[in-house]
Amino acid sequence: MSDETDLHLERTLDAPRDLVWKAWTDPEHIKRWWAPRPYETPECEIELRPGGKFFTRMTGPDGFDYSGTACILEIVPGERIVWSSTMKGDYRPNEFTADGCNGFPFTAVHTFADAGEGRTRYTATVLHADQKDREAHDAMGFQDGWGTCADQMAEVARELAANA
Amino acid sequence: MLNDSHQLDHAFAALADPLRRGMLARLSRGPASVSELAAPLSVSLPAVLQHLKALESSGLVASEKKGRVRTVRLQGDALAAAESWLTQRRKEWEARIDRFEDHLRNIQTEAKA
Repeated sequence: MSDETDLHLERTLDAPRDLVWKAWTDPEHIKRWWAPRPYETPECEIELRPGGKFFTRMTGPDGFDYSGTACILEIVPGERIVWSSTMKGDYRPNEFTADGCNGFPFTAVHTFADAGEGRTRYTATVLHADQKDREAHDAMGFQDGWGTCADQMAEVARELAANA
Repeated sequence: MLNDSHQLDHAFAALADPLRRGMLARLSRGPASVSELAAPLSVSLPAVLQHLKALESSGLVASEKKGRVRTVRLQGDALAAAESWLTQRRKEWEARIDRFEDHLRNIQTEAKA
């Protein structure tokens, strides 16, 4: 892991590990915490196997509608889940547009361990592409993917409505 | 640079805007003319100049006019722009884990009720 490109987050959660695992891997649960309000996650599919599809669709104000498909790389039930945005189901590569509006490449590793007294130690490690790739995205002015892409979609939605 | 808190406020305010961060990221690869900075952006030239002014007053960039061309260059640590990308990602994940934590709390409360 590199400090310049990667993130490492740790949290002790006040819930037993089996429940934490369920909340992280059951689509009905994921839908309830994945997207930041006012965005929502009306659809989610997750196949808990290496090569399994991890699909989320997020919707929001002004016609924001973003679907992303990632690939599960590794599953150790109750302990570890590894997935990557670089691929969709069955390891088929994803393509990313230069404007970054259909996401960017990363791999995420999540671990779950008993922390005693019914609590769980949760870690998330997120690996990004190297800095040169990121600067290419940044230079396009879209590094703040969410906000900018949301604005773009809003614009398209307004145009569609105006022409309807 | 950034040796007083007033300037630091300016720098943070300048970094708060995605378009300005994009301009800084471009400048981290070397000096650019105003029109080069504006080219990849979908905003008007006056808007670009406005953002440039904000960046200049923050001390993050400086510009110099020679003939008809104004050249802009990064002042100080070029990493600032790149770092903000990762900082943004960290914030998103922290917020997601916050929501996850809230959700766990909610379902346990629901189960007890």
